[in-house]
Amino acid sequence: MTEAATNRDRIVLLQGTLDMLVLQALLREPMHGYAIAQVIRSRSGEAFTVETGCLYPALHRLERQKCVESKWKLTESKQRARFCQLTALGKKQLATDQRRPLQLVRAVGAVLQPEAQL
Amino acid sequence: MIRWPWERAKERLSEELEAHLQMAIAERVADGEDPAKARAAALRELGNVPLIEDVTRERWGWMWLENLLRDTRYALRQLGRTPAFTATALLTLAFGIGVNLGVFQLLYAVILAELPVPHPEEVVRIHVARTPFDQSWTVSYPAYQRLRASTPDVPLMATAYAEDARLELPNRASIKASCAPVSDNYFSGLGVGPAAGRLFVQADERLGQGEWPVVLRYDFARNTFDSPQQAVGQHIFLNGRAFVVIGVAHRRFLGDIAGRAPDIWLPLALQSTGAFAFSWDSLGPGHDVSLAKPWYNQPTIFWLALTARIPPERRAAVLAHWDQVFRNDREVMTEATADPALKAALLHVKTGVAPLSENGMRKRFTVPLTLLMALSASIFLVGCLNLANLQLARLNARAHDLSVRMALGASSGRLIRQIVLEDALLVASGSACAFVLGRAASSILVRWASNRNALFTFDLHPNLPLAALGVGLMLLSLLCFSILPAVISIRNGVARAAGSRAKVAGISQTGRQRFRSNVLLGTQIGLSLLLSTMSGCFAATLVHWETVDVGMDREHVLIVRPDLHQPRYTDHSETLPALYSQIRVRLQALPGVRSAAVEMCGGIHCGWITALYVHGRNDLTDKQVHGQEDHVGLGFFSTLGIPILRGRDFSSSDTEKTQPVAIVSRAYARQLFGDADPIGQRVGYEPAPDDRKFLIVGEVADARVNGAEREAPPVVYMSINQNPAPVNSIRVRAVGDPGRLSESVRHALYEVDPALPVGEIVPLATELNGDLGTEKLLARLAGVYASLTLLLVFIGFYGVMSSRTARRKNEFGIRLALGATRGNIQMLIVGQTARILLAGTLPGVILSVLAVRAASHLLYGSVSANSLVIIAASLGLAFAGSIATLIPARRAAFADPLETLRSE
Repeated sequence: MTEAATNRDRIVLLQGTLDMLVLQALLREPMHGYAIAQVIRSRSGEAFTVETGCLYPALHRLERQKCVESKWKLTESKQRARFCQLTALGKKQLATDQRRPLQLVRAVGAVLQPEAQL
Repeated sequence: MIRWPWERAKERLSEELEAHLQMAIAERVADGEDPAKARAAALRELGNVPLIEDVTRERWGWMWLENLLRDTRYALRQLGRTPAFTATALLTLAFGIGVNLGVFQLLYAVILAELPVPHPEEVVRIHVARTPFDQSWTVSYPAYQRLRASTPDVPLMATAYAEDARLELPNRASIKASCAPVSDNYFSGLGVGPAAGRLFVQADERLGQGEWPVVLRYDFARNTFDSPQQAVGQHIFLNGRAFVVIGVAHRRFLGDIAGRAPDIWLPLALQSTGAFAFSWDSLGPGHDVSLAKPWYNQPTIFWLALTARIPPERRAAVLAHWDQVFRNDREVMTEATADPALKAALLHVKTGVAPLSENGMRKRFTVPLTLLMALSASIFLVGCLNLANLQLARLNARAHDLSVRMALGASSGRLIRQIVLEDALLVASGSACAFVLGRAASSILVRWASNRNALFTFDLHPNLPLAALGVGLMLLSLLCFSILPAVISIRNGVARAAGSRAKVAGISQTGRQRFRSNVLLGTQIGLSLLLSTMSGCFAATLVHWETVDVGMDREHVLIVRPDLHQPRYTDHSETLPALYSQIRVRLQALPGVRSAAVEMCGGIHCGWITALYVHGRNDLTDKQVHGQEDHVGLGFFSTLGIPILRGRDFSSSDTEKTQPVAIVSRAYARQLFGDADPIGQRVGYEPAPDDRKFLIVGEVADARVNGAEREAPPVVYMSINQNPAPVNSIRVRAVGDPGRLSESVRHALYEVDPALPVGEIVPLATELNGDLGTEKLLARLAGVYASLTLLLVFIGFYGVMSSRTARRKNEFGIRLALGATRGNIQMLIVGQTARILLAGTLPGVILSVLAVRAASHLLYGSVSANSLVIIAASLGLAFAGSIATLIPARRAAFADPLETLRSE
C-alpha cells in the first residue's frame, strides 16, 4: 500500500473530536502524550493517526481548561515523561461529549439516506 | 537573573516533545529497526517541532504578555541606540507636562478649590456695612455679639486681621508667625475638626487669661514641634505674652482665605492685651474712640469680618433679620460723613453675602494664572510638535529597517504597536518625572508669586482634577508625537520605500512629507514667537516697575523695624520724642549714614486712610477729603529723598504744646485746593466746627508709598513729636549700598536702648521689589518658557535639516560635481529654513499682537512699544533657526563629492 493510499483511508478528525478521544484514552489510567497517540491509533484500528502537532496543543488546552492534570514521572523504560490524568471536570466533559458522535452519525445518516428516516 | 515563568514552561514543553521522540525511537528500535533510520522516521512523524511548540504555547494564553515583554525589550534597545532623541523626548515631556501640572495646581488652589469643610457652599462672608475710611466690611465687637445672639441657630463667626507676631520658644531663635484672631465658634461653625488636642470653645474667649490658648496650623505644628501631637500642651511666647497650644487644626484646613494660611489662630479677646497690632477702622477722632483701651465694648471701632454658615434657602430670612438688629449700628456709622446724600445712601445699604472665593487673592491671580496656563499649554504643544517632527525624521531614517520587516511578514499593526510602545515607555517615564517636577514647580511658583511680606501657603496636595489633567496630557502627547506620526509614516512611507536601499536613501521623502514637517516647524515657530514675545513683555514690565521713579531714593534707603509695642514704651509715650531724637543723632553719627528718621509706617501699604476737611470750605465731596495719613519724625523727607515743594519741613520747635502742623503731598494739595497754595490753610479730621485743628506748613512731592506699581496716593504727614506713639520703622539713608549698614545700625540702636528689640532690616529697594509678586511670577516663568522654546526651535531645525541633508547627500555630491559651489549648497538649505521661518513668523506675529492686547492690563507700555519686543523675539528665533540649520548645511557643503558619489 502506498503512502498516498494510507492517507486516503485515514479519517480527518473533526474539531472537538480529538479532545474527546484524548479524554477517553485517559479514562482508565494516567498516560503520557506518546502513549495517548498509540492508544488512539490502536483502538481505531489504525484509522486515526493523531498528529503530534494536534495532540500536544490539545493536551495543553485541556490542562488549561482543568480537564486534565499532569505530573512528571518515569516510564517503565526509565524515560522522564509528563503523565496526564483525568480530573473530575474532565470526566464530566467526557460524559457530555460522548453523546455527540452518535448524534453526528445519526444526523449524517439522515442526510445521506433521507428515505430511511421516513 | 530573572526567569520568567514561561521560560521554564517552555523548557518543560521541549523536554516533553523530546521524551515523545525518544519513546518513538525506542519503540521502533525494539521492533528491530536500525537506530539511525528509526530516529529519522520518528522525527519525520513528529513533524516541525518549533511549530508544534509555538502552537502549543498559544494554548497557554499568555503569548500577548510574552510579546509585550519582547517588544519592550526591543523598544528599550531602540531607545538606547538613540540617546540624544531619548533624552530630548524625556526632557520635553517631563518639562512640558510638569509645568502644566505645576501651574494647574496653583490655579486650582487659588481659583477652583473649595474650603475643605462639609458643605462649603453654605459658608459665606456677611457684608453688613462698609467702614467709613478703609471701606472694609467689618463691624464692631458689640455689633457682632448682637448679630450672633439674634440668630442662635446660625453659626456666625468673626475674624480679625492681626500683623505677624514674634514667636519665641525655649532655646530657639524667635521667628515670625502669622496670626489669625478668630471667635470661639470659628472652627465649630466651619466644621473643622482637630488633628490633635481640641479647638476653641466658649471659655477660651474669656478676658484676662494668664496663659492664652492657641490653635496651630498642621504643617506649622509639624515643622515647629516635630508632630501635631507633640505640639499640644506646649508653652510658647507670642509678642512677649504666654500662650499654651491647645490643639492643631485638621491637616487640610489652611484658613478661610486662599493663600493666606495663618500659622496660629488666637481668640479675639486677646485684643485686650494690646500686644498685637490689629487692623481697624473707626468713625475717626472725636467719636469716643480710644484705641489704647480694649475694643470689645467700643461700638465705634470696626475690626471684625463676619463669616456665617447659612443654608441657601434660609439666607434671605436671616439677612433681613440681621438688618433689623444692625439698624442702630448703621446709624452710628453714618456719623463719619457730613454729606447728607451719602448718609441717606448708607442707611439704605442692605446686608448681603459674598462667596468665600471672592477675595483679593482670586482677583489678583485669576488673569495671570489663566495666562500662565495658556502659555504652559503652548509650550506643551510646541514640545509635542517638536517631538512629532523629530519622530517623523527618525521613522524616515528607520524606513529601510521597517520595510524589510514588513516584507518578512510583520503586520503594519505590529510595527505600529512596537513604535507606539517605544514612545509609550518614553511618555510614561517622562510623565513620572513630570509629576515630581510639577510638585516642585508649584512650590517654586508659589514662592515667586509671594510677596516678600506675605508668603502664600496653598494646599498643594495632589487631587483628582490634577491627576486627570496629567493622564490627559500624557495621552495627548502620545497621540501627537507617536501614534499619528507612526501611522502616517507606516501607511505612506514604508510601503513605497520598500525598494532598494538606494531608493530609500535617495528620493524616499516625497514632497508631501516635506510639506508636513515644514508645517510642523512653522507652527512651532509661530507658538514660540508668541511665548518669546510674552516673556519679553513681562520682563520689560518687571524691569520697568523695578526701576520706575517712585519719588523716593529707592537705592539708598534702609528700613529698620524696631518693636516699640511694649508697655515700657506704650505706657510712657511722652518719653518717645526724646528716644527718637537720640536714635536719630546716634544713627547720623555712623559713617556712611546721610540721615535717619522715624516713621509710623513699617513699610509699603501701611498708611491708614484718613479724611481732611478744609476750614471755610463745605463744598468738598467725600472723595476729595479722603487720603492717606502717616506720622513721621524730623528729617523724614530728606532721608527718603522726597523733595519739599513749598513751605517748610517739621522742626524741633513743633511739639505737643505748639500748634499742630501738617505737611501734604502734591496729590492731596491738588485734591483739596486745586492749584492754590496750601501753605497756611487750616484743616481738621472732621467737618466744621472741628475743621481747623492743623495748620498746613508744607507741601512735598508725591511718592509711591504703596508700592512701585501703584499710583502715588494723596498723603498727609503729621509730626510724630506732636502725636507721640510707637513708630514701626526707622529709615536710614546711606551714602552707598544701604545693605552694608545693617550691622552697624543694629549695634548703634543697641547702644541707644539695649532693651529695644530690632526686627528686620531691609533696603527699600528690596521691600519695593518684594511687592511685585505677580509681575515676578509672570516674568520668570515666561522667561523660562522663552528660553525653552528657543532651545526647542534649535533642536527642531537641527533635527529636521540634518536628516534632510543626510538624505540629499548624493544629490549634493552630484551638484558639486556639476559645478555648484559650496556656497550654493549652503544657500539651498538655509533658504529652506528661511522660508519656514517666514511662514511661521507671520501667523506668530498676529498671535502675539492679539495676546499682548489681551494681557495689556498686566503689561506696562502700549501695543506699539511691545511690538519692538515682537520684532526682537522674531529676530531671536530666526537667529536660533539659522544657526541650527547652518551646522548640517556646512556639513553637507563641505563633504567630499567623490566620497558621497562613490558610496552610491
